[in-house]
Amino acid sequence: MNLKGFFVTALSSALELDIATPDDVLRHVTPDVLSIHLPRPLWARLLTACLGAPRVDAQLVVETVGVPNLCEHVPQPIIWACLQEIGRRAIGADGESDGVVALVHDRKAPSAPLIAPSPPIVATGTPVATPVIAAPALPAPTIPRPTTANPLGDLVNELEHDQDRDRSATGNGTAGNASRARTPTSQRFRQSQTGIGRLAPTSLTSPRRPQAAASPSATPVSLPSVLGGRSSDKTPPPPADPADTFEVVTEMGKDDWKNALAVEDEQLVDWQASDETITTADDFTGRKR
Amino acid sequence: MTKDQRQQWFARVMESGLENQVFAPSDVLAHATPDVLANNLPPDLLSKVLTASLAAGSMTPERVLETITPDVMSRHLPHDVLWACIAAAAARAGVTNAVVS
Repeated sequence: MNLKGFFVTALSSALELDIATPDDVLRHVTPDVLSIHLPRPLWARLLTACLGAPRVDAQLVVETVGVPNLCEHVPQPIIWACLQEIGRRAIGADGESDGVVALVHDRKAPSAPLIAPSPPIVATGTPVATPVIAAPALPAPTIPRPTTANPLGDLVNELEHDQDRDRSATGNGTAGNASRARTPTSQRFRQSQTGIGRLAPTSLTSPRRPQAAASPSATPVSLPSVLGGRSSDKTPPPPADPADTFEVVTEMGKDDWKNALAVEDEQLVDWQASDETITTADDFTGRKR
Repeated sequence: MTKDQRQQWFARVMESGLENQVFAPSDVLAHATPDVLANNLPPDLLSKVLTASLAAGSMTPERVLETITPDVMSRHLPHDVLWACIAAAAARAGVTNAVVS
């Protein structure tokens, strides 16, 4: 009885005819099995092939080692377990038993524990009656639908509306500005959120000069004295102590930042010439921009 | 896996089992019983089996399988019957601790 020859024919033809795949083989002839039973020269050939192949998969292993070598060196119960799975799948058997034999561990083979557990056999002909439990219809959570596509847009719109109202109240704004449609604000938020301005030099990315509020620990600048009488209608209350000065300036910028910018432009020459703003003696004139 | 591929595979396995003496024609007929043959073989094949046996004077498993070749078996007999034959042979060969029913 040439059992190995029978196995070679059965397994080879199963692979040729797409009855089985190399993955089916490696589910049983696992790397652990190969490591124990495959001779070292075959392992060298396999490693060489794997190192030279762009992709290592079961097909490469089976083709490199070869079905005859697998059937020659791998214990027959393992090869049989592989064939059994293939055969049961071919006949559409859905259980472990095909009515004739029941696969158990070989009592003679010392490598019986190495037999990979049989994976669940996918029945092709006999569907498994799996009860389908219909889940009770649960009420779907009611999620309030957003009224606007951009929630932050409302906040910005409201702020701009307030500014326009203030501008029209002071006579700086026009009727066209008050009634114009809000421009998209996405660009503004992108600049503040991406942090690109933090990485790039300020002089290159923004035409704005550094704010005086950037150095709150220095001598606090009294805003009313800088602004003169232009902001007399919105003069903040005098600070209770020097620590509150910074907060007062910040609040001014938040409420009427456009006016603050306008004042700042007027103060550019004086600010640049001021000795207080010189923080370093380095000469940057020769720096490449 | 198409039906043709499955038939080819069972034909090769049955042929290999007979060639390698994993199972004998009598083992095949132990599963492919006269009842199975009668219910699955087409009339012309049944007639041919009978004709050959009549000409030889006896009907032996070997003679039946001269007509009912592995290819014919895989085309006409239920594959689970063929698989039962293969599995039982494997159990007899000792590759499993199988219980032959």
